[in-house]
Amino acid sequence: MTWHVDAEDLRAYAQGELAPPMLWSADTHLMSCAECREALAAVSDPVALDAGWDRLDAELDVPRRGLFESLLVRIGVADHVARLLTATPVLRRSWLASVVFLLLTTVGVVYTADSPTLFLALAPLLPLAGVALSYGPALDPTYEMAVVSPLHGFRLLMIRTVAVLAAGLGLNGLATLALPSYGLRALAWLLPALALTATGLALTPRLGPVLAPSLVGGAWVALLVAADRAGDGPLVPFTAAGQGAAAAVAALAVGLLFLVRDRFDVFPRSAV
Amino acid sequence: MTPTVSAEGLSLHYGGTRALDDVSLRLTRGVTGLLGPNGAGKTTLLRVLATAVPADRGAFTVLGNDPGTARGRQEVRRRLGYLPQTPGFHPDFTAFEFVDYVAILKELTDRGARHREVRRVLDEVDLGDVRGKRIKKLSGGMRQRVALAASLVGDPGFLVLDEPTVGLDPEQRMRFRELIARAGEGRTVLLSTHQTEDVAMLCHRVVVMAGGRIRFDGTPAELTAVAAGRVWNSAERDPGAKAGWRTGTGSFRNVGNPPAGADLTDPTLEDGYLLTLDDAGVEVAAA
Repeated sequence: MTWHVDAEDLRAYAQGELAPPMLWSADTHLMSCAECREALAAVSDPVALDAGWDRLDAELDVPRRGLFESLLVRIGVADHVARLLTATPVLRRSWLASVVFLLLTTVGVVYTADSPTLFLALAPLLPLAGVALSYGPALDPTYEMAVVSPLHGFRLLMIRTVAVLAAGLGLNGLATLALPSYGLRALAWLLPALALTATGLALTPRLGPVLAPSLVGGAWVALLVAADRAGDGPLVPFTAAGQGAAAAVAALAVGLLFLVRDRFDVFPRSAV
Repeated sequence: MTPTVSAEGLSLHYGGTRALDDVSLRLTRGVTGLLGPNGAGKTTLLRVLATAVPADRGAFTVLGNDPGTARGRQEVRRRLGYLPQTPGFHPDFTAFEFVDYVAILKELTDRGARHREVRRVLDEVDLGDVRGKRIKKLSGGMRQRVALAASLVGDPGFLVLDEPTVGLDPEQRMRFRELIARAGEGRTVLLSTHQTEDVAMLCHRVVVMAGGRIRFDGTPAELTAVAAGRVWNSAERDPGAKAGWRTGTGSFRNVGNPPAGADLTDPTLEDGYLLTLDDAGVEVAAA
């Protein structure tokens, strides 16, 4: 040992009056120094000493915040919400899938295509897939326990959806910056993305968390193929009229989602 | 005594299956065992009472709250502990992290209070020493105890346990029974199980289900009494018996309607259970 906690600090520690950062140093040191633990026992009353060990024990148990969780807490997300988000492996996987997907499509668009159509076509699928991957009995091992918890299922879904959308839309937005020559046209993925995600969620109580987003994604691809065959020029979904339709679909789907919100609070019949 | 759970006429169909058929029961403090063969409707009943699945017909209250309304459902969930048949874990979590996660779902948002509660329930299931261990490194019995600890968060008044002793070796099963008995002190526990020994050792009351209906509701002694005078020993398997098997002594133990002059013997809870199923038209050899 290169140092020991001095007698004054030990007395303060025993009385619970030692302040950080010396408190942290003393905690760490006492874990490994029998000599200081003996000295501490000599200056402590047994009850206070037990309380101190309990506190130290408790500190050692507490899950350590990772980088992302710390970041969320720092920007004002409540501690328990940050924990809910970052502790869920399905969410981490969906975020990772988002990043990989986006990197690949962006690289593909920038280096192999002469228009942003491919990017615009694929980008709305990213948040749809991300949200689908973050929810449901097939993907969340704790789903059954979560359903019967007092935290409303719709609220939990919305917490996860907002997190996935923030990540997915944010990443899409960054990717858009790689296409500066297309101006605002490069943002034409945004409204379709919201429309697809909201529609996928609104249909989930009826069709299930796998079939609903799959059908919505399939319908989007079919629409693009049909629009491509219809003629030259920009595809209809990325024109002003198409954007208006996407906004209307998004608004309707959000309304429907609100109406069916209680259906997220129980097991889907297909999973009974 | 005011019942913790009071259910009337619960029915639930899905697909072509009648999972619950006009089920009515009242549960009071202590451990009630729910016995039945596979497909009897035990898990469905537990899910309905745990508010995971709404019934098609019928109504029930838990601790005075009606889960038919959103507000009532939330109140029930605040006072409910639920251990599903196959509890799912995030395997990279430590025991502490998993229970902490469930505690957040149970609305314990204050970090300090939540962590104190997590330590309390882990200590209650004797896992205080391994709370920092990853779940994937724990034995099957320990994982079940982690799940039980999660169900005990918030000191629920109504605890629903769906076959918690399945897959455990005898020593782990014994230990788990101790924990269930402890958990049953001062609260209402509904324990679904295939093991008649669980019921004999733990329960003040037993409910037998088959085909989505309740076939028996009484004390373990009353269920045993169903087989009084209907169990006999013989040198060969009696072809007239509903079920028969060779025992360790070499003789056959038969249950059913004994022939005249049969060597009658004392019935067990399992005999009563088998004959209850037989009376309900269930093939007891398959039960």
